[in-house]
Amino acid sequence: MNEARTIDVGEGAAIPSRSDWGLFNAWTISITGAVGAILYLYFFQSTPYKRIAHYVADGIIITFQVTIMSILCACCIGLVVGLGRVSKNKAVNLAASTYVEVIRGIPLLVQLFYIYYALGRLLNVHDLTAAVIAMSVCYGAYMGEVFRAGITSIDKGQTEAARSLGFNTKQTMFLVILPQAWHTILPPVGNEFIALLKDTSLVSILAVSDLLRRGREISSESFLYFETYTLVALIYLVITLILSKGVSIMEARLSHYARQ
Amino acid sequence: MPVNSPPTAPIVDIRHVSKSFGALKALNNVSMSMSLGEKVVIIGPSGSGKSTLLRSINKLESVDSGTIIVDGQDINAPATDINRLRMELGMVFQSFNLFPHKTVLQNLTLAPIKLKGMGQAEADEMAMRLLDKVGIREKAHVFPAKLSGGQQQRVAIARALAMSPKIMLFDEPTSALDPEMIGEVLDVMVKLAKEGMTMAVVTHEMGFAREVADRVVFMDHGAIVEEGTPEHFFQNPEHERTKLFLSQIL
Repeated sequence: MNEARTIDVGEGAAIPSRSDWGLFNAWTISITGAVGAILYLYFFQSTPYKRIAHYVADGIIITFQVTIMSILCACCIGLVVGLGRVSKNKAVNLAASTYVEVIRGIPLLVQLFYIYYALGRLLNVHDLTAAVIAMSVCYGAYMGEVFRAGITSIDKGQTEAARSLGFNTKQTMFLVILPQAWHTILPPVGNEFIALLKDTSLVSILAVSDLLRRGREISSESFLYFETYTLVALIYLVITLILSKGVSIMEARLSHYARQ
Repeated sequence: MPVNSPPTAPIVDIRHVSKSFGALKALNNVSMSMSLGEKVVIIGPSGSGKSTLLRSINKLESVDSGTIIVDGQDINAPATDINRLRMELGMVFQSFNLFPHKTVLQNLTLAPIKLKGMGQAEADEMAMRLLDKVGIREKAHVFPAKLSGGQQQRVAIARALAMSPKIMLFDEPTSALDPEMIGEVLDVMVKLAKEGMTMAVVTHEMGFAREVADRVVFMDHGAIVEEGTPEHFFQNPEHERTKLFLSQIL
C-alpha cells in the first residue's frame, strides 16, 4: 500500500532517474555539449551567431509565455476532464471521453490551424491568445488522461475509508484522492510540460513570434539557414534538458512521505 | 426510581437482504439484527458473504433487495443522508487504509474537523486522547508508512472512533497482520467491547469470539447457517457445516 506508485506516460524528454545521477550520464553529456556549443558559437564564431542569437532572444520569451499559459490552462482542463472520466455520472463521463477521443484523433497542427482560424474569424481574438487556447484544448485532453490515470492509481481502500467516515464523493476526491494522486501524476505532468514546450514550435506557423518563428524570419532575411537552425535547435535542447532536471528534482522532493 | 425501559428497537436491522456479484450470490435472503451495546461476531469460510454483509450495513456494498435499517433509518431510502448516517458507523478494514499523505494525528482529526466542524485544538486534544487509548500516543506526528501493521490498525481504530460512532464495524481487522501483532489489535478491541461499544466483527479469531461475543453468527454460501451464544456455538453446534468449519479452524 505504501510503495511509490508510478505511471508511465512518456512523450517528452526522458526524466533522469535518481540512479543515474552520476557525472557521465546522457543528461550531463547533452547539457554540457549543448551549452558548450552555444557558448563556442556565440563567442568564437560571433560573426553570424551573435546577430542570430540577439534576434531570436525575444522568441524564447514568447515560447515560454505560450508554454506556461498553455500548461496552466491544460492542467485545469485536464483536472476537469480527468474527474469527468472517472465520474459515475454517465453524461459527464461520456462528454469527457468524447472530448478526449476527438482531440486525440486530430493532429495538433490541424487543431492549431482550426482553432486559430475559427477563433480569429468568430471572436477576433489575439494571435497569442488563440495559440494558447489551441494548445490548451489539445493538451487538456492528454492531461485529462494523466489525471485519470493518477486518480485510478490510488487504492480503492482509500475511497472506502473516506466514505466510511462520512465524506461525500467530492470531499473524498479533494481531501483524500487528489492530494495522493498529485504525487503520482507529477512526473507525467512534467513530461507533458516538456512535450508541450517542444510543440509550441508549431505555433510558429501561425502569426506568433516564438523562438522558431524568429529563427525563420532571420534566416529568410540573411539566408543563414544552417547557422540559424543549429542555434535554435541547441536553445530548445538546453531548455528541455533544464526542465527535465527540474521535474526530476521536484519528483524526488515530493515523494518524501512514501520513503519515510 | 427504576423505570421499566421499553424493549429497544434494534439499532441495526437487516431484513431479507440479497446481493449478487454477477452469477455469484454473495448474500441470499439474509436477516439479522443487533441491539445497542451488543457484540456480534460473524464467522465463516472465505466467500461466505460475511464481509459483504458487514459492508452492506454502511452501504459500501449496496444490496439488490431487502431492507437495512440503521438507527431507525432505512439506508436505501432516498430521504436518508447516507453520509450523515455513516458518521454513526465506524469502520475498520483489513488493509487499514490509513491516509498515507496525512500524519497519524491528521488521520484522526481530518473527518471531525471537516465533517463536524470541530476546532483544530479540540480535535487534536480528542485525537491524542484516542491515541492514548490505543497505546500509540508517541507516534502522533509520524506518517503511517513508518508504522508496523499492528500500529497502523490501532490508528485506524482510533480514526474511526474519532467520529464518536454508535456502532463499530470490523472487517477482518487482523487478517493482514503478522501473528505477533494480532494481540495488540485484539486487546484494543476487547477494551472497546468492555466499554460497551456496539460492535459487528468479521474475524477468524475464535478466541476473540469466545471472549467478547454476545452472539456468534456463522455464515456459509451467502446465508446465515447458525447463530447463538459463544457457549452454544463452540460447545454444541447444531449444524453439520458449522461443526465441519469449527473442526477445520480450531
